[in-house]
Amino acid sequence: MKIRILSIIMVMVLSVLSCRDVLDLRPLDKLDSETLFATPEGVRVYLANLYGQLPIEDFSFGRLGFNTANVNTGGIAPATQTDDAANSEFSHLLDGGGNFQWWDAGYKLIRDINLLLETVPTVSSLNDATKAALLSEGHFLRAFTYFALVKRYGGVPIITTVQQYTPDVESLRVPRSTEKDTWDFVLAECDAAIENLPASRAEDSRRATKWVAYALKSRAALHAASIAKYWSKAPLSGPAVSEGLVGMDASLANGYYEICIAASKAIMDQGGFSLHKPTPGSPEEATANYMELFQNPNSAAGEVIFVKGYTNPGSSGHSYDFWFNPNQTSDGAPHPGRMNPTLDFVDLYESYTDPGQSAPIVTTTDGNVNDYNGFNPNKTYLRFDTPYDIFKDKDARLWATVVLPGTEWKGKTIIIQGGYIEPNGTPKIETKESIAVNGETYYTYGAADWTNYSGFEVYLGNMTRTGFSFKKFLSPNPVPPNLTYSTTDWIEFRYAEILLNYAEAVVESNYTANNAQATARDAINAIRRRAGHTVDIGLNLENVLRERRVELAFENKRYWDLVRRRDYHEKFNNTIRKALVPVLDLRVSPAKYIFIRKNLSRENPLTFPTNFYYAHIPGVGANGLVQNPQY
Amino acid sequence: MSAPIAKDAEHAGSTTLQTTYLRVKRLSTILALVVLASACELDNYDAPNAQLSGRIIDAETNELVEQDIIRGTTIKIIEHGYDPVQPQYLRVKNDGTYANNLLFANTYTVQPELRNFVQVAAQDIQIGSDTKLDFRVQPYIRVKDASIVKDGTRIVATFKLQQTVPEVVSRIGLYAHAEPIVGEPIRSVVAEAQLGRTVEEGETFTLVIDAAENRAMLKSGTPYFFRIGAVINVPEAKFNYAPAVQITVD
Repeated sequence: MKIRILSIIMVMVLSVLSCRDVLDLRPLDKLDSETLFATPEGVRVYLANLYGQLPIEDFSFGRLGFNTANVNTGGIAPATQTDDAANSEFSHLLDGGGNFQWWDAGYKLIRDINLLLETVPTVSSLNDATKAALLSEGHFLRAFTYFALVKRYGGVPIITTVQQYTPDVESLRVPRSTEKDTWDFVLAECDAAIENLPASRAEDSRRATKWVAYALKSRAALHAASIAKYWSKAPLSGPAVSEGLVGMDASLANGYYEICIAASKAIMDQGGFSLHKPTPGSPEEATANYMELFQNPNSAAGEVIFVKGYTNPGSSGHSYDFWFNPNQTSDGAPHPGRMNPTLDFVDLYESYTDPGQSAPIVTTTDGNVNDYNGFNPNKTYLRFDTPYDIFKDKDARLWATVVLPGTEWKGKTIIIQGGYIEPNGTPKIETKESIAVNGETYYTYGAADWTNYSGFEVYLGNMTRTGFSFKKFLSPNPVPPNLTYSTTDWIEFRYAEILLNYAEAVVESNYTANNAQATARDAINAIRRRAGHTVDIGLNLENVLRERRVELAFENKRYWDLVRRRDYHEKFNNTIRKALVPVLDLRVSPAKYIFIRKNLSRENPLTFPTNFYYAHIPGVGANGLVQNPQY
Repeated sequence: MSAPIAKDAEHAGSTTLQTTYLRVKRLSTILALVVLASACELDNYDAPNAQLSGRIIDAETNELVEQDIIRGTTIKIIEHGYDPVQPQYLRVKNDGTYANNLLFANTYTVQPELRNFVQVAAQDIQIGSDTKLDFRVQPYIRVKDASIVKDGTRIVATFKLQQTVPEVVSRIGLYAHAEPIVGEPIRSVVAEAQLGRTVEEGETFTLVIDAAENRAMLKSGTPYFFRIGAVINVPEAKFNYAPAVQITVD
């Protein structure tokens, strides 16, 4: 009994002593903002986290999301969801609910940025100049984030404060702003960023600078202007449209084009940037320079504005070398050859002998480049000594971006061949056979063993089915054959894009102030000159758009260009992409190469539905937001 | 768990064990009954019990108005009694009829949304086990005197157009596909003309698809479906058609 009373008293005493402090204990595994931001290192830690979450559409971005380099994506890059390329196995134009969804992660990032913006002014150990620069950096990050949201969804809820949880959930709901207000917010955030970001940084040179903010403004304003101008090509209807949550009036276009022009001009006049090696001595030199820019962006400091680095192979690298090398240069990777540039894309490049227009690959004496029905014995095919002569005078950037059949890459001759024509005229195309002619054996795919060719056989999807393989960004040295071992850095903003944004905005708005037409014409010709052209061309929309497509090829721009200009549903309406099949013609001796323009094999007709110009908003049952049209 | 303390050493052991065993048996029986009783129903939702079907009829000619089953006319139905409510959309078959037998009986507000005819007023109807609802409409364009014939390897379509609204006719087309649901959204070969103007009633249009130039898609000796279509320049308007014709190409 005594022990019992004693133990009860003990328990009471202990509990009285301890309960006062338990709720006031400071966590041992978290830092408060005052402590975190008091030192430069603390600031960098927090910012590094924000930069890591930024929706940069880089090497590790695709239909499965951001930072998915360590995921088995099947090598389906964003480029293969456009007319620029096809995946060797999958025809993946669309994903349910609109492509490239990004919502929850976006608002999480916005909250983290708002936390930064609210906390920095309160930190006593930072001086005013540092605070101002940090706030501008926060505004850049927020602008970049909202840009990613508005181009996917149209108008979105604009949240600029850190919401505090309250059981009254209704009060936490923020309705969508109009599309126009959201674009204006992005541009205003860019201005707040420009205000106090430094022009350059001695330390942490990869963090945002004033020019990065201008570059974002240039890109965002061009995007907004295009939507306003081209909305009527694919008008939508429904509550989201009537409330202005998606769609902008054509009268707004020129205002946005002028914002793009001014932002681009600021970089062109004051940024100190220039094209990397702008005056090559020959097309071969131009090809080498262009490849160098992407193999090592750090060698082109004059052109690159914003770079994302990949440092640790095996953990924070990416997987481009793993998925996209031609089969013969896979260096042990099990699923190479996934990026197949299309004939539609290759046709686009100019020829040095006839500048000013695209030079589609002519394969027959009748010059018909619209017949995709396959080999026709009644046609007279042009014959070539090598598989690459047919591309002889084409733009250097073609030779730098695409692995053309029969060319060298990583010390090997890349054999891309689709078949042969037997001496008696029988075609053997896209089928595995061999034939002996005059004592020599010929193989349909160009070699006996599958490890020695890179095209057309349906073997584990390692073979190109368009007749072209890929090398832009790829390392000329072997990369360990696993996911996340590539360490080539990604250029998010570079000077060439600014010039192209400027030129497009000037042409589309017929802007003439300050000699803009001449400046724009010089801009596109400077880009062409860097690619080995010697004859200037005039400024018109077709030239500007062609330059943009060939210069920025595979830099994850094509998808959004198709969206913002409302070209997607026109380019993709029951569309089958095209291939160019090199075929060895054994009807003549010595054998020569002929080429067949044809529909891509194993491809379904692809259609882009117009409501995919805006993605489906997730969780409308809970967040009460107005859904986008036709979802 | 300790054994129950025996008050009387003589009664310890088997009697206690027997009691426990009976208790457990009784409890398990009750438990089993409870589980069985509640396991009869998988959920407490009713199955769909209503059907809505009908036709899109040209108010002037009394003929069915041809449609596209994919990316074509949709009929929006909004169920009463729910807030917020997700609209449901019914599709219409190529021949102009529609049916959906997986609806729930209730009152709905019904109105076509995307369409190839002038909009009709929304109406509230009670959808029950077999409700019929026709829409008498004014199609934007009527395809008249349509003929699709074979001329060697060429498939030749001739037709006239009657437009019932003042906007221009955007484009006209002859669409070919292996499936009978052929139309502008479902086609493997197309012969189109961008018109961008109004049309006269007596005007004859001709569109040709040559199978010999489209061998990748139109194989000799194989039947395909061909359909004539035209679309008016009203935002989001769908195509108006003449019925598809099946032809075996040479």
